Amino acid sequence: MDRAQIPKILKSPANWGRKYSLWAVYFCTGCGIIEIPPVVTSRWDAERFGVIPMATPRQGNLFLITGYVSLKTLGAIIRTYDQMLNPKYVVGFGSCPVNGGMYWDSYNTIKHLDQYVPVDGWISGCMPRPEAIFIAVTHLWTLIDKGLADGYKRYKDNYDFYCANQRRVLPHLPKFACGTGTETATAPATLRMPT
Amino acid sequence: MRDRDGDRDRTGHVADADVNEEDLKQRIADRMPQCGVTVPKPGRLIATVPRDGLLSLLHLLKTDGFEHLSLISCVDWIDEGELELVYHLWSQEKKVHAMAKTRVDRASPRMLSVILLFRHAQTYERELHEMFGIDFDGNPRQVPLLLDHWQGIPPMRKEFDLRRHARETFGVEERTDD
Repeated sequence: MDRAQIPKILKSPANWGRKYSLWAVYFCTGCGIIEIPPVVTSRWDAERFGVIPMATPRQGNLFLITGYVSLKTLGAIIRTYDQMLNPKYVVGFGSCPVNGGMYWDSYNTIKHLDQYVPVDGWISGCMPRPEAIFIAVTHLWTLIDKGLADGYKRYKDNYDFYCANQRRVLPHLPKFACGTGTETATAPATLRMPT
Repeated sequence: MRDRDGDRDRTGHVADADVNEEDLKQRIADRMPQCGVTVPKPGRLIATVPRDGLLSLLHLLKTDGFEHLSLISCVDWIDEGELELVYHLWSQEKKVHAMAKTRVDRASPRMLSVILLFRHAQTYERELHEMFGIDFDGNPRQVPLLLDHWQGIPPMRKEFDLRRHARETFGVEERTDD
């Protein structure tokens, strides 16, 4: 082992362990999921990078949003994301979660995923190659090392903002069934949509 | 059943078919004089009827061997104030794609359900009810299929302002193509 690494590891042993054990939640969104089977199996073998798919959200910490997100899927994404344990990392895969992609004026597809759940990284492209997932994963390592993959903290700190956005498009979600409806959509400047 | 798996042209249609679309056309025209039948190309049959005759036409086609309802689609003729329903039928034996077309009033579209003839039409009608706002009399389950919480005019109608909806609901930025 590189000796220069040792102080860094001692500084935050949890992050050092975390970044090599990413458990991706099994969650199929849109067309990008077709890239995931070759990624996790023998052709590209994501386990080399410490990424293994996990069947339940409660034991997973990497959430790949693979493709367009319809409103119905967004409800399931929010539900899944709320169930995952901290720290959790979300990666938007493909053009559609970034800005709607080819569905930019669709009536049923959300355009900016980061308005509803915090996103730690994006992979652009339609479709991105499986290699792009590994670039994203190695990039995510760097972010975790530096403490920049803090989407779960942003979600906690700006919960009202995310809830208000979620409620605006999905008012019938079970999580809003007993809500007061007083959340306001005052976003911090870094999260605001460009106007 | 005849063996018709040989001699296909590029479109999959059997070139030397002994099924004659003109015969089919004549049979339908004999039994339903109010029905306008055309054969735009081999393997394709289009029958247009008034609204009340559609069920009889579908029954006629079904007994003629068109046993598979592939799809029901809808066209919005906004200038004529009508919605056109297209029932796509396929005959495995004849290898002919038949379309039964009918038009309903656009302001209050109602149609008789065809689930007595084709049970799986239930899902297609449910989707048309959701996307075009057509009421199907006799369909017991016209509840939302894909849109959970839709309010306002159905999204596939032409007067639905797609861009405005996307802007107001999802905050899509306006694009200027210059």
